[in-house]
Amino acid sequence: MPSAPDTLFHKVWKRHVVTVTEDATLLYIDRHLVHEVTSPQAFEGLRLSGRKVRRPELTFATLDHNVPTENQLDIREPMSKRQVEALRTNAKEFGVTLYDMGSGRQGIVHVIGPELGLTLPGLTIVCGDSHTSTHGAFGSLAFGIGTSEVEHVLATQTLWQGKTPKALGIEVKGKLPAGLEPKDIILAVIRAIGTGGATGHVLEYYGPAISAMSMEGRMTVCNMSIEAGARAGLIAPDDTTIQYITATKRPFAPTGAALESALADWKLLQTDDPSAFDRIVTIDASSLVPQVTWGTNPAMTVDVTGRIPEPDQVPFTSREDARRSLEYMGLTPGTPISEIPIDIVFIGSCTNGRIEDLRSAAQVFRGRKVAAGVRALIVPGSEPVREQAIAEGLDRVFTEAGAEWRQAGCSMCLAMNPDKLTPGQRSASTSNRNFEGRQGPGGRTHLVSAAMAAAAAVTGKFTDVRTLLSQGV
Amino acid sequence: MEAFLTYRGRAALLDWSDVNTDLIIPARYLKRIERTGYGPLLFADKRYVPGGAPDPDHPESHGELASDFPLNASANQDATILIVGRNFGCGSSREHAVWAVAQAGYRAVIAPGKDDGFADIFEGNALNNGLLPIELPEADWETIATAVRTGPTEITIDLLRKRVTLHGNSDIEFAFDVPEGNRERILKGLDAIAETLLNDHAITRYEQSAPVWAGLSV
Repeated sequence: MPSAPDTLFHKVWKRHVVTVTEDATLLYIDRHLVHEVTSPQAFEGLRLSGRKVRRPELTFATLDHNVPTENQLDIREPMSKRQVEALRTNAKEFGVTLYDMGSGRQGIVHVIGPELGLTLPGLTIVCGDSHTSTHGAFGSLAFGIGTSEVEHVLATQTLWQGKTPKALGIEVKGKLPAGLEPKDIILAVIRAIGTGGATGHVLEYYGPAISAMSMEGRMTVCNMSIEAGARAGLIAPDDTTIQYITATKRPFAPTGAALESALADWKLLQTDDPSAFDRIVTIDASSLVPQVTWGTNPAMTVDVTGRIPEPDQVPFTSREDARRSLEYMGLTPGTPISEIPIDIVFIGSCTNGRIEDLRSAAQVFRGRKVAAGVRALIVPGSEPVREQAIAEGLDRVFTEAGAEWRQAGCSMCLAMNPDKLTPGQRSASTSNRNFEGRQGPGGRTHLVSAAMAAAAAVTGKFTDVRTLLSQGV
Repeated sequence: MEAFLTYRGRAALLDWSDVNTDLIIPARYLKRIERTGYGPLLFADKRYVPGGAPDPDHPESHGELASDFPLNASANQDATILIVGRNFGCGSSREHAVWAVAQAGYRAVIAPGKDDGFADIFEGNALNNGLLPIELPEADWETIATAVRTGPTEITIDLLRKRVTLHGNSDIEFAFDVPEGNRERILKGLDAIAETLLNDHAITRYEQSAPVWAGLSV
């Protein structure tokens, strides 16, 4: 009798089971990524109990959240400095590799993992950061953990998991129209299923629009899985994945005989049949228009051609919660999205801080100027992304347009470094969260793609980027 | 972790859905490298009057409490059990959110739903800190929320029997579930790492059988 069809997620899960109890599974963790914010208490815990890092060679650290992107080396805030110093001390004491500022490899943890060849199909990857789901783009099972779990992984290289998550298939049919980006797809998915719609689930994205997507685009999609509440999001490895891993020299990617054996193994990493999913949601990419969030969670999204909704017409949200969102955002129901003026544009983050995002923004900026009264920050996700952008001349496109060209870090995605909104400021941001205060207390965030953010920068309001691209310059 | 068997306390209600961890504790407070001091930072941007949120390096010095934040109502001042809306703790994985709730004096959080009352990572973090995340069916949750809206309400949480008791003219009891492994650890206040290391031979065996390519090619 043929065995029942299985999902990619479940296959990776089963490969990593160390032991099981009545209602929990001990999973082996292949890669542990560490940053300065969620690790100090974990290392301190090890120190207090006299424990070591079990596999320091599988543990990699970088500095990203606190980094000032105007001048990385000039950390003025004493608490940020202390947190950065703590990671340097801990990495040294426990024998963990740290990609420090100026190493040529530093960057946002979810940007550098794939660049280094640490992120590979079929692996389990964790980090004390919810956007660890990014690495699922390679067909790895990657998820965010809390600091107690960081300590647990440091000490044991394993992690207890309760109930096995369910598998939710996200089928993305059709071809993404010109001017639209993977960001529009993931915003449309979250809009369709809600901010808690995938709680207890692992998502697998598949279909023609996913197959046609670059690795950078796939990372954008998987990155925001957590914004639908998913434990993780993944995409089966294919030729695009293998090309990314092997075509560029990546220090930790397998080569030679190890690569041959890996390639044979990765072929098995597919969902056997969609019937294996617990549930399937289908989105048609060809019918999408650029997406803009209007509210205070990423499911509060409308088309750029749409209007601010009435509070009783917001899916998944009570009238009262929607009213509080509208009030915080300073918006009136019925206002066309295209009439909302913006103050700040942020292009960067673990969602959209990769070379392809910068290319797409540059295409809009080329020959145009940042609108009067608007400030635009372009922040590469890593030192290699920055170098690549400079090699392609993108930095000059940005600076000639009047945008600020920065150094690598998390920047304005979250208010932990000097880049933040002031109260009442409104941003068009390529980051992942429009939560109250996320970009600074009182700041108002609208999430968009890199191209849409650039369009907002040059017009001073939300503008359907398709109209700019068709005009040419 | 403090052991938890049964606990009786006053309940407070924050009837908002999708409360994210940035709201529970804003990112600027995550620069601390200690595991303590987070209590005054809970809901810092909602709990204090505008401009009254504490400086990150001085959590104890803050402005007046905001009169319009539900948890500031005088009836809620001594509350130690937090009743919240669905999908509590969504967003960032920051365990600081759990530390803030626990260090502000709460021992348990009660949300409506079935596997969707709490965001996954928050729930795991709470269990690891002995802050009990309890999901109740919508109707049971509503019974408790209604009581809290009506007046001061006490609740007993019995982790041995997995029961929540709403005290009133007549007590009402509700059943809840917690993963058994977590329940054992919380009941005894045990260290998860020490327990995992009892499986050291299984971990080593796994490591010996892992494919070569999954290691590092350096």
